[in-house]
Amino acid sequence: MDVITNLAFGFEQALTWSNLLYCAIGCVIGTMIGLLPGLGPLATISLLLPLTYSIPVNGALIMLAGIYYGAQYGDSVSAITMKIPHASSIVACIDGYQMTLKGRTGLALFTAGVSSFIGGTVAIVVLAFLAPLLGQVAFLFGPADYFALMLLGFVCVSLVTTGNLLNGLAMCLLGVLLGQIGTDLESGTLRFTLGLTPLADGVSVVSVALGCFGIAEICRNLDAREERTPFNGKIRLMPSWPEFKRIIPSALRGSVVGSVLGILPGGGPVIAQFAAYAIDKKVSRYRHEIGSGAIEGVAGQAAADEAAARTSFIPLMSIGIPENAVMALMMVAFIIKGIQPGPNMIAKHPDLFWGLVASMWIGNCFLLILNVPLVRFWLSIFKVPYTVLFPSILFFCCVGTYSVNNNLDDVFITAAFGLLGYILMRLSLDPAPLMLGFILGPMLEENFRRAMLLGRGSFRVFVTQPISATLLAFIGVLIAVQIAYAVARRRSGGPQPGHGERDAPEPVAVVETPGVPAASPR
Amino acid sequence: MASLTRRGLGGLALGCAALAPLAARAQPAWPARTVSIIVPYSAGGATDILARKVAEGLSNALGKTVVVDNRPGAGGTLGTALAANAKPDGYTLFLGQVSSHGIAPNLYTELRYDPVKSFVPIVSVETIPNIVVVNKALPVNSIDELIAYAKAHPDTLNFASSGTGASTHLSGEMFKSMAGVTMTHVPFHGSAQAIVSVMGGQTQMIFDNMPSAYPYVTAGNLKALAVTTLKRSPQAPDLPTVAESAKSADLSNYDVSAWFGLFAPANTPRPIVERVNAAVNAMLKEPGFAKFIVENGGAPEGGTPEDLGRLVDTELTKWKAVIERAGVPKQ
Repeated sequence: MDVITNLAFGFEQALTWSNLLYCAIGCVIGTMIGLLPGLGPLATISLLLPLTYSIPVNGALIMLAGIYYGAQYGDSVSAITMKIPHASSIVACIDGYQMTLKGRTGLALFTAGVSSFIGGTVAIVVLAFLAPLLGQVAFLFGPADYFALMLLGFVCVSLVTTGNLLNGLAMCLLGVLLGQIGTDLESGTLRFTLGLTPLADGVSVVSVALGCFGIAEICRNLDAREERTPFNGKIRLMPSWPEFKRIIPSALRGSVVGSVLGILPGGGPVIAQFAAYAIDKKVSRYRHEIGSGAIEGVAGQAAADEAAARTSFIPLMSIGIPENAVMALMMVAFIIKGIQPGPNMIAKHPDLFWGLVASMWIGNCFLLILNVPLVRFWLSIFKVPYTVLFPSILFFCCVGTYSVNNNLDDVFITAAFGLLGYILMRLSLDPAPLMLGFILGPMLEENFRRAMLLGRGSFRVFVTQPISATLLAFIGVLIAVQIAYAVARRRSGGPQPGHGERDAPEPVAVVETPGVPAASPR
Repeated sequence: MASLTRRGLGGLALGCAALAPLAARAQPAWPARTVSIIVPYSAGGATDILARKVAEGLSNALGKTVVVDNRPGAGGTLGTALAANAKPDGYTLFLGQVSSHGIAPNLYTELRYDPVKSFVPIVSVETIPNIVVVNKALPVNSIDELIAYAKAHPDTLNFASSGTGASTHLSGEMFKSMAGVTMTHVPFHGSAQAIVSVMGGQTQMIFDNMPSAYPYVTAGNLKALAVTTLKRSPQAPDLPTVAESAKSADLSNYDVSAWFGLFAPANTPRPIVERVNAAVNAMLKEPGFAKFIVENGGAPEGGTPEDLGRLVDTELTKWKAVIERAGVPKQ
């Protein structure tokens, strides 16, 4: 009952004309930066922060939040139509772009929009009912537990790989190596920087994602000299009923995964998309189609990144801890307005929290309209000929990379990754596992070393912590089941020559390699 | 009040111009365009927040927009080097801090700036104490009890920090060597994660900047033992200093603060330096600005450019000794 009265109070805050306007402005700006390749919410919010000095804190928060979740809403569009991802829509480059190649752009965009709506709705329910409780979850997770969680992520490598599994593993490890570039957290030693100062802070995920997917794809298109535009004026948005039915379960799974990962510090939309994709590939009824342009491959990740973007407000609002860079900027907005973030923010400033939650419901409806029926208008930008479109996309990619740190060197780093991505594409190597390794590798290493530091060099910390022990046991079971499955299949499939033989060794190879670090802690 | 101050400033600037006719002819009407303050960290940190507040005040005082230019990278040394090599025409200012002008020059072997020769100091803006906070379950309530506990349970305490070489790390190292105790340093990316680990009990304590840690003390999630400056904080007058509260070890010289001061590239004309100095000093006396600083756990400073220069000298010497004693590897 409390929640209902609180929500009513929240709507009272959010439904004033000025706050509705701020919400609408936030959603429109968010959608725009979500559509533009390369630009992200972080740069936009830090640019717009000074503009919020003169508006009331409630409106400012509603608008900035709208930009953030609005950007996650539309971020799949450029990945689906042009294979140019944002950090939180890397996975959409796989199935979403495949759907475009098959001429089903409209269906993919509809799926992404509706799934984002579902993800947003689920996350708002979580925010409204569980936020005060869930803030405490962050305290339960120690370094050992994060290590186990990241390891579980690595076991998923086999699931985001589309082609040959061994190649996928190699790409994942290359990603881990790329993630090592930069300053070591503990000793301050520079690693793999080749003496170049710009590499001292490592390579940003934006550079790798834009280079390996976007720029490589543009080069390939130029290479092929084929006259193909991402959008030729006629797209069929509405799905058939059976198609629509496929969106729902996958989007719901993605919403749950995204809501959970959004709460954990260091988690958030970037990781949520991979987790949702991996789960769909494991449990969806259409899992055999995922990777070649399945609805599920788009729905799960779109719902997950939207849900994660919204639940990532929970640590900030309930314990005053920003869990990612965008949330840190939100915190600045609070401090400049004279509100000191900290524990009990929800109790101390109920108008802020419930106003935000209510504005998210409203924003969700704005965004559904902006992204589903109106997406064809946004897309008309892409009607321009390729000779104009390519340079402008590259221009936006440059602006996007530059704006992360206001650093020109980052643009050159992105260009270098474009070259790498092009080479990988020519060798038919898939960059998705590379991204996964790049994102998870440094977190895995950091938490492993931190856990070992706290355990004074003993591996016992990994089994004495309940969360870590449970996750590691789960990984063990997962590997055992896979091996048993593979052995059984090889036996029964033994007499038949052909693909049974070829398929069998691969799952073994995949599950064993991530299993090596899993075995050592015990 | 505000207009009086501004007129006073104008007079001061005119006076300076009369005293230094050469410089005045070269810079007839500074500022003629937007002035930028380089912040060597990304938007959102303590330095950035202060810079934005200072920029707001300077915009009013100078009558031209003052913007914040975030240039993060390489532990803040990237943006500092950029400011050091900027044109000394008064249009680039730099918000220096304990890291850029105290710790980094002693920690990095290849810096592209000299903290003394590449800059002219303008004015000291603010000092923020660090506070020693511990997990609520740790059975200590004072610095003395903490030292006793650490000696009775060797190698069990972990202190979190916002990163290797940060003031939160070196405060702990300084405490270790002065109090003669052992503790393990556990670095995190930024103080938010570090605070979570202290609250979650994975680490036991942190020497964190007051603004980020104090809200958890008032909310009862963490216990504060002391402030790391020689003076008590106006925000928490009941909290003793480390120096005064340790009886079992000599910590009377224990003094750490995160301080912030405005600098300009070396050879920036003296009249500009003095005009910005006067503007900031006036700003620090405005009740609104002073309140902002105190509410964020800091103390407003001010003073002459030479005061800031002396602060830089003492800090450079102090951190050199701390880093050598603690054996922190150079980068």
